[in-house]
Amino acid sequence: MIGDLLTGTLAEEIAAAPIRVFVPTTPATAVAARAARLLGNERLSLSQGFTAPAGLPRDWATDAFTLLRQGLLGVAVTPVQLDAAGRTNLSGIGTPGRPKVALIGPRGLTENNDTPSPLWYLFAQHSPRTLVERVDIVCGAAPSPDAGPRVLLTPAGCFDLAEGGWRARWLAPGGRDLIDAAPSFPIAIPEGTPERTAPSAATLAALVAVDPGGARLAEFGES
Amino acid sequence: MSELHDILAAVTPAGALVACGGGELERKPMAAIRELAELGVNGLRVATILGSADVEVLLGSGAVVEVHSAGVALEGLAPRWREARQSGTPAVIEWSEGTFAAAIQAAVLGVDSMPWPAGIGTDLPAVNPWLKETVDPHTGRPVLAVRALVPDVALIHVTGVDDEGNAYVDGDLVVDALLARAAGCVVVTYERRVEADPGRAAISHIWIDHTVEAPGGARPTACAPDYAHDAEGLRTL
Repeated sequence: MIGDLLTGTLAEEIAAAPIRVFVPTTPATAVAARAARLLGNERLSLSQGFTAPAGLPRDWATDAFTLLRQGLLGVAVTPVQLDAAGRTNLSGIGTPGRPKVALIGPRGLTENNDTPSPLWYLFAQHSPRTLVERVDIVCGAAPSPDAGPRVLLTPAGCFDLAEGGWRARWLAPGGRDLIDAAPSFPIAIPEGTPERTAPSAATLAALVAVDPGGARLAEFGES
Repeated sequence: MSELHDILAAVTPAGALVACGGGELERKPMAAIRELAELGVNGLRVATILGSADVEVLLGSGAVVEVHSAGVALEGLAPRWREARQSGTPAVIEWSEGTFAAAIQAAVLGVDSMPWPAGIGTDLPAVNPWLKETVDPHTGRPVLAVRALVPDVALIHVTGVDDEGNAYVDGDLVVDALLARAAGCVVVTYERRVEADPGRAAISHIWIDHTVEAPGGARPTACAPDYAHDAEGLRTL
């Protein structure tokens, strides 16, 4: 299942990242972070958006910016648009300041996108509507070369932002076709790029341990 | 008229900038927001780091001429916020969460502006006059100069207030501690009186001008640990 593959990959990424706090944004990202604790990042704290649980600072919203600048805060986001240079948009579709379709607003994408902290982009679909050549409204600027890792996870595979463009780390089954169907969002596929079909047994066991009911799968249209 | 109504009428002049505490669907000062909406203050300006029912109710009052926020949503999209942004009326000033916090921090410190490391290369400076790209005079590195946003009034809802007027919050303060220090007048509504160690207060009484008991005063948003947000209430604002 693609939900297990992407959630499991995110869990492995979080487990290996030198972060102290992760901010879940969806049920699957919360499952990934809880699984990451079982996979090695035992001291990882989870915030719940603006509800910081015990053990996190009460001034969470302000401390979050400090953690971001120190490379210690991870988050997986799903902007309405992500572009070829890694810019993000959650504000709307159309013209900045007067969008044709207004959505939520920039939120924290501005702070998330260009920091030493790792950032994951998680999409349930590899769609040309969301993966675009250039976002309509730039909420998060293109990450600078000294930004932390920027990793994109879609049903097409896992992709790194490197030297200003996206490059495949591995492809999911059918990933090449999905990439071809979103031509405005170029992804380099190096020779020998492996295919990955499922998470490792250890990763899957961690996912099931923290989410036996499979809540992680709903946002990928699976159950 | 209620005590809250009278206080808000006295401290909210025409054109006032009112900051709303809480964030998203957490601890929005809805009792005060509803009173404010009924007052019909001319030229009301509203600011909140992340809005929800607060912004929607005030936009529905017709009194608002300007909204400052990094984002507004209910359980899904917020219709009045969307309409305002798409039509241009009332004016919406877009912030990010960090630039908003920096603008309030600048107000706390009494400085004209604060440097902020994020936002260069975004569209925010083009649509938000409080943000200007500049360079750090010491290093020459590009930074965003964030102009202070100084609220005339801050409305904050908390779980408890003690006999001295200290405010207690169970959970995240969001940027309420900054709002309480930045605003000219701070009005705190609370669920109940508490006996507590003042050393554990979230906001000291020295920053608070008025406290008013308002059980359920955050509904339909949440107030931990007393109640979660009310989905039906959010649908019928």
